[in-house]
Amino acid sequence: MTSWVETLKENDFTADASTSERRIQVSLTGTADLTVKTQLDRFLRAVHTEAQRCLAEEVTVDVRQLEFMNSSCLKCFVWWISTVQEQPGEGKYRIVFVSSPSVYWQRRSLNALACLANDIITVQA
Amino acid sequence: MPEGSTLSFGLQIQPQSRMVSIVRRFVEESFEKLVGDPEAVFRVSLAVHELLENAAKYAVGDKTGLTVHFESNGSAASIKLTNETTPEHIVRLRACIEEIQSSKEPFALYQTLMRRTFGVQDESGLGLARIRAEGELNLSLEIDGNMVTIIASCLPVRKHSHD
Repeated sequence: MTSWVETLKENDFTADASTSERRIQVSLTGTADLTVKTQLDRFLRAVHTEAQRCLAEEVTVDVRQLEFMNSSCLKCFVWWISTVQEQPGEGKYRIVFVSSPSVYWQRRSLNALACLANDIITVQA
Repeated sequence: MPEGSTLSFGLQIQPQSRMVSIVRRFVEESFEKLVGDPEAVFRVSLAVHELLENAAKYAVGDKTGLTVHFESNGSAASIKLTNETTPEHIVRLRACIEEIQSSKEPFALYQTLMRRTFGVQDESGLGLARIRAEGELNLSLEIDGNMVTIIASCLPVRKHSHD
Protein backbone atom coordinates (compact mmCIF):
# COMPACT_ATOMS: atom_id res chain seq x y z
CA MET A 1 0.00 0.00 0.00
CA THR A 2 1.37 3.43 -0.94
CA SER A 3 1.18 5.81 2.01
CA TRP A 4 3.34 8.80 1.02
CA VAL A 5 3.89 10.57 -2.26
CA GLU A 6 6.19 13.46 -3.17
CA THR A 7 6.26 15.02 -6.63
CA LEU A 8 8.40 17.71 -8.21
CA LYS A 9 7.98 19.12 -11.69
CA GLU A 10 10.16 22.01 -12.79
CA ASN A 11 11.16 22.92 -16.36
CA ASP A 12 11.78 19.54 -18.02
CA PHE A 13 12.74 17.82 -14.78
CA THR A 14 10.37 15.53 -12.90
CA ALA A 15 10.89 13.69 -9.63
CA ASP A 16 8.41 11.33 -8.01
CA ALA A 17 8.69 9.40 -4.78
CA SER A 18 6.36 7.02 -3.00
CA THR A 19 6.53 4.65 -0.05
CA SER A 20 5.40 1.09 0.10
CA GLU A 21 5.89 -0.31 3.58
CA ARG A 22 9.60 0.15 4.31
CA ARG A 23 10.69 0.77 0.76
CA ILE A 24 10.76 4.06 -1.09
CA GLN A 25 10.67 4.26 -4.86
CA VAL A 26 12.10 7.41 -6.48
CA SER A 27 11.95 8.15 -10.19
CA LEU A 28 13.83 11.02 -11.88
CA THR A 29 13.31 12.06 -15.49
CA GLY A 30 14.46 14.87 -17.79
CA THR A 31 17.42 17.14 -17.02
CA ALA A 32 18.73 17.97 -13.55
CA ASP A 33 20.66 21.20 -13.98
CA LEU A 34 21.25 24.51 -12.23
CA THR A 35 17.64 25.58 -12.78
CA VAL A 36 16.30 22.78 -10.51
CA LYS A 37 19.11 22.44 -7.96
CA THR A 38 17.22 24.09 -5.08
CA GLN A 39 14.08 22.04 -5.76
CA LEU A 40 16.04 18.77 -6.02
CA ASP A 41 17.75 19.56 -2.74
CA ARG A 42 14.37 20.06 -1.06
CA PHE A 43 13.00 16.90 -2.69
CA LEU A 44 15.87 14.71 -1.44
CA ARG A 45 15.51 16.16 2.06
CA ALA A 46 11.81 15.18 1.95
CA VAL A 47 12.75 11.66 0.82
CA HIS A 48 15.27 11.35 3.64
CA THR A 49 12.75 12.61 6.21
CA GLU A 50 10.23 10.03 5.02
CA ALA A 51 12.87 7.31 5.03
CA GLN A 52 13.64 8.15 8.66
CA ARG A 53 9.95 8.24 9.58
CA CYS A 54 9.10 4.85 8.07
CA LEU A 55 12.45 3.28 9.02
CA ALA A 56 13.08 2.52 5.37
CA GLU A 57 15.32 -0.42 4.51
CA GLU A 58 15.93 0.69 0.96
CA VAL A 59 15.37 3.62 -1.39
CA THR A 60 15.41 2.80 -5.10
CA VAL A 61 16.27 5.69 -7.41
CA ASP A 62 15.37 5.04 -11.04
CA VAL A 63 17.42 7.38 -13.24
CA ARG A 64 17.03 5.51 -16.54
CA GLN A 65 15.05 8.42 -18.01
CA LEU A 66 17.30 11.10 -16.54
CA GLU A 67 19.04 12.59 -19.56
CA PHE A 68 21.68 14.56 -17.64
CA MET A 69 22.68 15.62 -14.15
CA ASN A 70 25.04 18.52 -13.51
CA SER A 71 27.64 18.78 -10.76
CA SER A 72 25.45 21.04 -8.59
CA CYS A 73 22.73 18.39 -8.54
CA LEU A 74 25.34 15.68 -7.92
CA LYS A 75 26.21 17.70 -4.81
CA CYS A 76 22.61 17.24 -3.62
CA PHE A 77 23.17 13.49 -3.83
CA VAL A 78 26.50 13.83 -2.03
CA TRP A 79 24.64 15.54 0.80
CA TRP A 80 22.00 12.80 0.89
CA ILE A 81 24.48 9.91 0.78
CA SER A 82 26.71 11.50 3.42
CA THR A 83 23.70 12.11 5.66
CA VAL A 84 22.50 8.51 5.36
CA GLN A 85 26.01 7.23 6.01
CA GLU A 86 26.17 9.21 9.26
CA GLN A 87 22.93 7.71 10.58
CA PRO A 88 23.24 5.23 13.43
CA GLY A 89 21.51 1.84 13.48
CA GLU A 90 18.05 1.68 11.96
CA GLY A 91 18.32 5.20 10.58
CA LYS A 92 20.68 3.93 7.89
CA TYR A 93 19.21 2.52 4.67
CA ARG A 94 20.44 1.30 1.31
CA ILE A 95 20.23 3.42 -1.83
CA VAL A 96 19.89 1.52 -5.12
CA PHE A 97 20.35 3.42 -8.36
CA VAL A 98 18.69 1.86 -11.41
CA SER A 99 20.59 3.14 -14.43
CA SER A 100 20.70 2.84 -18.20
CA PRO A 101 23.95 1.84 -19.95
CA SER A 102 22.92 3.90 -22.96
CA VAL A 103 22.90 7.17 -20.99
CA TYR A 104 26.60 7.92 -20.79
CA TRP A 105 26.76 10.24 -17.78
CA GLN A 106 25.21 7.61 -15.55
CA ARG A 107 28.00 5.04 -15.52
CA ARG A 108 30.73 7.53 -14.59
CA SER A 109 28.74 9.77 -12.23
CA LEU A 110 26.95 6.97 -10.39
CA ASN A 111 30.24 5.14 -9.99
CA ALA A 112 31.68 8.29 -8.40
CA LEU A 113 28.72 8.49 -6.00
CA ALA A 114 28.94 4.79 -5.18
CA CYS A 115 32.62 5.13 -4.29
CA LEU A 116 31.63 7.61 -1.59
CA ALA A 117 29.74 4.93 0.29
CA ASN A 118 30.08 1.40 -1.06
CA ASP A 119 28.40 0.03 2.05
CA ILE A 120 25.04 1.67 1.32
CA ILE A 121 24.98 2.23 -2.46
CA THR A 122 24.31 -0.20 -5.26
CA VAL A 123 24.18 0.69 -8.94
CA GLN A 124 22.09 -1.56 -11.17
CA ALA A 125 22.45 -1.29 -14.94
CA MET B 1 32.24 13.12 -42.45
CA PRO B 2 35.67 11.96 -43.71
CA GLU B 3 37.91 10.10 -41.27
CA GLY B 4 40.46 12.37 -39.61
CA SER B 5 38.71 15.64 -40.43
CA THR B 6 37.97 18.34 -37.86
CA LEU B 7 34.60 19.74 -36.93
CA SER B 8 34.41 23.05 -35.13
CA PHE B 9 32.05 25.84 -34.28
CA GLY B 10 31.85 28.95 -32.13
CA LEU B 11 28.99 30.58 -30.29
CA GLN B 12 28.49 33.89 -28.53
CA ILE B 13 25.82 33.47 -25.88
CA GLN B 14 24.47 35.16 -22.80
CA PRO B 15 25.69 33.36 -19.66
CA GLN B 16 22.27 32.35 -18.39
CA SER B 17 21.48 29.10 -16.61
CA ARG B 18 18.47 28.38 -18.83
CA MET B 19 20.76 28.42 -21.90
CA VAL B 20 23.13 25.75 -20.59
CA SER B 21 21.14 22.59 -21.28
CA ILE B 22 19.96 23.99 -24.60
CA VAL B 23 23.56 24.44 -25.79
CA ARG B 24 24.61 21.03 -24.40
CA ARG B 25 21.82 19.33 -26.35
CA PHE B 26 22.82 21.25 -29.48
CA VAL B 27 26.42 20.04 -29.11
CA GLU B 28 25.30 16.46 -28.45
CA GLU B 29 22.85 16.29 -31.30
CA SER B 30 25.18 17.98 -33.79
CA PHE B 31 28.22 15.84 -33.04
CA GLU B 32 26.29 12.57 -32.67
CA LYS B 33 25.44 12.82 -36.34
CA LEU B 34 29.06 13.46 -37.34
CA VAL B 35 31.30 11.66 -34.86
CA GLY B 36 31.42 7.90 -34.60
CA ASP B 37 32.13 7.73 -30.87
CA PRO B 38 29.07 8.55 -28.69
CA GLU B 39 31.09 8.34 -25.47
CA ALA B 40 33.53 10.96 -26.80
CA VAL B 41 30.55 13.15 -27.66
CA PHE B 42 29.28 12.74 -24.10
CA ARG B 43 32.67 13.79 -22.67
CA VAL B 44 32.66 16.95 -24.76
CA SER B 45 29.04 17.80 -23.98
CA LEU B 46 29.71 17.25 -20.26
CA ALA B 47 32.54 19.79 -20.43
CA VAL B 48 30.39 22.24 -22.39
CA HIS B 49 27.65 21.98 -19.76
CA GLU B 50 29.88 22.39 -16.72
CA LEU B 51 31.88 25.26 -18.24
CA LEU B 52 28.74 27.12 -19.30
CA GLU B 53 27.26 26.71 -15.83
CA ASN B 54 30.41 28.19 -14.35
CA ALA B 55 29.95 31.15 -16.68
CA ALA B 56 26.26 31.43 -15.75
CA LYS B 57 27.24 31.61 -12.08
CA TYR B 58 30.38 33.75 -12.17
CA ALA B 59 30.55 35.71 -15.42
CA VAL B 60 30.36 39.49 -15.42
CA GLY B 61 28.76 41.05 -18.48
CA ASP B 62 26.44 39.51 -21.02
CA LYS B 63 28.81 37.77 -23.41
CA THR B 64 30.33 34.33 -23.21
CA GLY B 65 32.29 32.84 -26.09
CA LEU B 66 32.28 29.09 -26.64
CA THR B 67 34.34 27.25 -29.25
CA VAL B 68 34.43 23.51 -29.77
CA HIS B 69 36.87 21.58 -31.99
CA PHE B 70 36.42 17.89 -32.54
CA GLU B 71 38.26 15.29 -34.58
CA SER B 72 35.67 13.24 -36.44
CA ASN B 73 36.95 9.96 -34.99
CA GLY B 74 36.65 11.31 -31.45
CA SER B 75 40.40 11.07 -30.83
CA ALA B 76 40.93 14.75 -29.99
CA ALA B 77 38.77 17.61 -28.82
CA SER B 78 39.03 21.01 -27.26
CA ILE B 79 36.43 23.22 -25.68
CA LYS B 80 37.21 26.88 -24.91
CA LEU B 81 35.00 29.15 -22.88
CA THR B 82 35.82 32.85 -22.53
CA ASN B 83 34.09 35.38 -20.31
CA GLU B 84 34.73 38.33 -18.07
CA THR B 85 34.65 37.74 -14.35
CA THR B 86 35.69 39.29 -11.04
CA PRO B 87 39.28 39.39 -9.71
CA GLU B 88 38.10 37.36 -6.70
CA HIS B 89 36.76 34.62 -8.92
CA ILE B 90 39.94 34.58 -10.98
CA VAL B 91 41.95 33.88 -7.81
CA ARG B 92 39.66 30.96 -6.89
CA LEU B 93 39.59 29.66 -10.46
CA ARG B 94 43.38 29.71 -10.74
CA ALA B 95 43.75 27.81 -7.45
CA CYS B 96 41.14 25.27 -8.48
CA ILE B 97 42.68 24.56 -11.88
CA GLU B 98 46.18 24.37 -10.40
CA GLU B 99 44.95 21.78 -7.90
CA ILE B 100 43.36 19.76 -10.71
CA GLN B 101 46.42 20.05 -12.96
CA SER B 102 48.78 18.96 -10.22
CA SER B 103 46.75 15.90 -9.26
CA LYS B 104 48.08 12.61 -10.61
CA GLU B 105 44.82 10.88 -9.69
CA PRO B 106 41.90 12.91 -11.03
CA PHE B 107 39.25 10.50 -9.79
CA ALA B 108 40.66 10.53 -6.25
CA LEU B 109 40.69 14.34 -6.30
CA TYR B 110 37.10 14.33 -7.57
CA GLN B 111 36.10 12.13 -4.64
CA THR B 112 38.00 14.37 -2.21
CA LEU B 113 36.24 17.45 -3.57
CA MET B 114 32.87 15.72 -3.29
CA ARG B 115 33.51 15.09 0.40
CA ARG B 116 35.03 18.53 0.93
CA THR B 117 32.07 20.31 -0.64
CA PHE B 118 29.49 18.36 1.37
CA GLY B 119 27.18 21.09 2.71
CA VAL B 120 29.04 23.88 0.93
CA GLN B 121 26.56 26.04 -0.99
CA ASP B 122 29.08 28.30 -2.68
CA GLU B 123 31.80 27.72 -5.25
CA SER B 124 33.15 24.19 -5.02
CA GLY B 125 35.12 23.49 -8.18
CA LEU B 126 33.31 20.18 -8.46
CA GLY B 127 32.24 20.87 -12.04
CA LEU B 128 35.84 21.39 -13.17
CA ALA B 129 37.02 18.30 -11.29
CA ARG B 130 34.22 16.39 -12.97
CA ILE B 131 35.41 17.48 -16.41
CA ARG B 132 38.87 16.13 -15.52
CA ALA B 133 37.74 12.89 -13.87
CA GLU B 134 34.60 11.87 -15.77
CA GLY B 135 35.32 13.68 -19.00
CA GLU B 136 39.01 12.71 -18.96
CA LEU B 137 39.90 16.13 -20.33
CA ASN B 138 42.89 18.27 -19.37
CA LEU B 139 42.16 21.73 -18.05
CA SER B 140 44.08 24.94 -18.50
CA LEU B 141 43.43 28.60 -17.87
CA GLU B 142 44.31 31.77 -19.77
CA ILE B 143 43.88 35.15 -18.11
CA ASP B 144 43.86 38.54 -19.80
CA GLY B 145 42.85 41.25 -17.34
CA ASN B 146 39.41 40.26 -16.15
CA MET B 147 38.86 37.98 -19.14
CA VAL B 148 39.32 34.28 -18.48
CA THR B 149 39.44 31.39 -20.91
CA ILE B 150 39.08 27.86 -19.60
CA ILE B 151 40.28 25.20 -22.01
CA ALA B 152 39.27 21.56 -21.70
CA SER B 153 41.06 19.32 -24.14
CA CYS B 154 42.32 15.87 -24.91
CA LEU B 155 45.28 15.14 -27.13
CA PRO B 156 45.03 12.97 -30.23
CA VAL B 157 45.64 9.29 -29.66
CA ARG B 158 49.02 8.54 -31.23
CA LYS B 159 49.07 5.48 -33.43
CA HIS B 160 52.29 3.49 -33.14
CA SER B 161 53.80 1.89 -36.21
CA HIS B 162 53.27 -1.62 -34.81
CA ASP B 163 49.49 -0.99 -34.20
